[in-house]
Amino acid sequence: MSTITKTVLRSDEFSCPSCVSKIEAKLADLPGVVSAQVHFTTGRIEVEHVADETTVDDLVSAVDQVGYLAVPQAF
Amino acid sequence: MSKLFRSLSRNRWRTVAVSALLIVLGGISGWMWPGNRSYPLFLVAASVVAGADIARRALADLRMRRIGIEALVSVAATGAILLGEVWEAAAVTFLFQAGATLEQVTLRRTRRALTHLVDMAPTTAIVVREGSHVEVPAAQVTSGETVLVKPGARIPVDGQVVEGRAWTDESSITGESTPVAKEPADVVYAGTVTTGGLLRVEATATGSDTTLARIIARVEEAQEAKAPAQRFIEKFGRWYTPAVAGAALIAFAVSRDAHLALTLLVIGCPGALVISIPVSIVAGIGRAAQAGILIKGGEHLETTARIDTVAFDKTGTLTTGEFQVADVVPVIDQVSADRVLALAAAVETLSEHPLAGPVVDAAQSRGSAQLEAEGFAQHAGRGVSAQVAGTSVAVGSERLMSELGVEVSPDVARILDRLTGEGKTALLVAAENRVIGVVAMADTLRDDAATGVSRLHRAGVTRLWILTGDSERVASRVATASGISEVKAGLLPEDKLAAVQELQATGLVAMVGDGVNDAPALAAADVGVAFGPGATAVAAETADVAILSGRVEAIADAIEYARATTRNLRQNVVVSIATVGLLLTGVLAGEVHMAGGMLIHQLSVLVVIVNAARLLRLGRRKTKSRTETIMEGSVPRPRDLVV
Repeated sequence: MSTITKTVLRSDEFSCPSCVSKIEAKLADLPGVVSAQVHFTTGRIEVEHVADETTVDDLVSAVDQVGYLAVPQAF
Repeated sequence: MSKLFRSLSRNRWRTVAVSALLIVLGGISGWMWPGNRSYPLFLVAASVVAGADIARRALADLRMRRIGIEALVSVAATGAILLGEVWEAAAVTFLFQAGATLEQVTLRRTRRALTHLVDMAPTTAIVVREGSHVEVPAAQVTSGETVLVKPGARIPVDGQVVEGRAWTDESSITGESTPVAKEPADVVYAGTVTTGGLLRVEATATGSDTTLARIIARVEEAQEAKAPAQRFIEKFGRWYTPAVAGAALIAFAVSRDAHLALTLLVIGCPGALVISIPVSIVAGIGRAAQAGILIKGGEHLETTARIDTVAFDKTGTLTTGEFQVADVVPVIDQVSADRVLALAAAVETLSEHPLAGPVVDAAQSRGSAQLEAEGFAQHAGRGVSAQVAGTSVAVGSERLMSELGVEVSPDVARILDRLTGEGKTALLVAAENRVIGVVAMADTLRDDAATGVSRLHRAGVTRLWILTGDSERVASRVATASGISEVKAGLLPEDKLAAVQELQATGLVAMVGDGVNDAPALAAADVGVAFGPGATAVAAETADVAILSGRVEAIADAIEYARATTRNLRQNVVVSIATVGLLLTGVLAGEVHMAGGMLIHQLSVLVVIVNAARLLRLGRRKTKSRTETIMEGSVPRPRDLVV
């Protein structure tokens, strides 16, 4: 079972576009993360991941480690 | 969720406040007792309080082998303390932290337009399953299920009303806050709010398939789409910080001036420049979205701002595309127009033909007597007939009359000719095998067509055209009524395309259409504008701008928002480039030092953000709640202008 889930997180704490590549790199390092895209302008974080290996909570805490609070959203 | 955010920013503010307090205490002690040991201690403490968070972020960066602005500031502040410049260290860390916190708050404001939409997303739904009511997350309702919407609640799904009557506020979708009446068979949207009644709604789309979700997705895509200038600046930003760090090292190697090197580090974040364009675009597109105008990205924003020609596909844009009774002509003396309409309506009530609704509506709104019909018969493509209070009544085309053996006199034929010549669709009404009158129907001009057109003129659109497949006569009536002088009528879809290309030879053209048979022209125009509440689906493919409200004035609004945003964006680029130039020359000339450099830098970032946030206040109309008048059922209907 390794279905890929798409999760959307939102944060309204981005204040400098430099955070984009940091968060993307951090997320991409997690096991089971296929792709991670961070949009500075809208504060949206899109992650495609295998939910069995990396949960939504793992994603939130990874973003938190880089220094930003993000919240999962339905869309 | 917002509570968490608040407590976090409160913590950041607390850090800023404590470090400010320590700086003030340091200043006082330095002034009261010069040379006292407490002065440097206070200032070092202030640097540590403000700098701890900066250092934490810098370390996180370094662990990922990245040098960010936090690393530069940490090095600069540590260096300043080692050099004994405690005042500079405290000022730099305090200003950086205070600036970053303020930037976060103000940036949140520029994104707020969209946050409002996201907050409109429904969370739970009451769904009817096996006869009982279950509350489930809104996204888990499946199409075809029936949900219950209580008065005052947010509709959880897109769907069709199956039972009940209510008003809905559809401002989250169309930008218009005037409540819309809903009754069975009407379409409702997720995220709109009901008042006045309980609704049962059959779901047609849920979760991320709803119109609201698609609008949010489209607005975000638009805000994320990068204009070419923005890509260039981002590339520049990526190189700028390491370049400045390198320059600082070289400066130190050459001049042995540690102070100069540290100052260079402080101004090493291209802050204002990298955010100058995105903040304006986010605010501008967000503001437009609040008004029900979707602009599909920065590039389209810039083109829209330069539009000088607007071409309309008449039906569905300048007109509503919905038929209404325009004339009721009685043809025999004993029967009044009211009677003709009442008899026609009595029969049409039982019909499902598209032209039946307008007849029934007209009879109702003119207060004609309501009559009962029986023995209803449908004559496919020709009309309908029934018995009304013992009288046999037929409503339909000339062909129906001849089939029923009803004579159409030369007088009646002349009336028919005149009405069809005006582009109207005429129905003959016969009673007891005698034509008693003619009911003519026509498309309706939107009530703001003329004001919308004159606002376009004022916005500097010099050429306005109507490109339509309709007859010359109808088109020029609409043109006159709305104040447009140029008309091309009788066009096929490919003719519209050619007409747009012809206009493009001499100007920048926006083509406005409802997406029905004008898709090629929309795609060819410099800016394709999909118009009307149904525009969402079409807009996703061909259009660059979608106007969901069905207000002609919104086209002028779109151009004005686009202009304001591009102006705003240019101001921001100028401010940020000027700041970088000013700082670099200032530092190299020895006029600007660490604290001053940080102050100017942070101020420039704030100026850029606050300037962009101004876009959100653009053209704010008074949105007074009209719910009360609505609830009493006294909605002022716009006077219908029939063309």
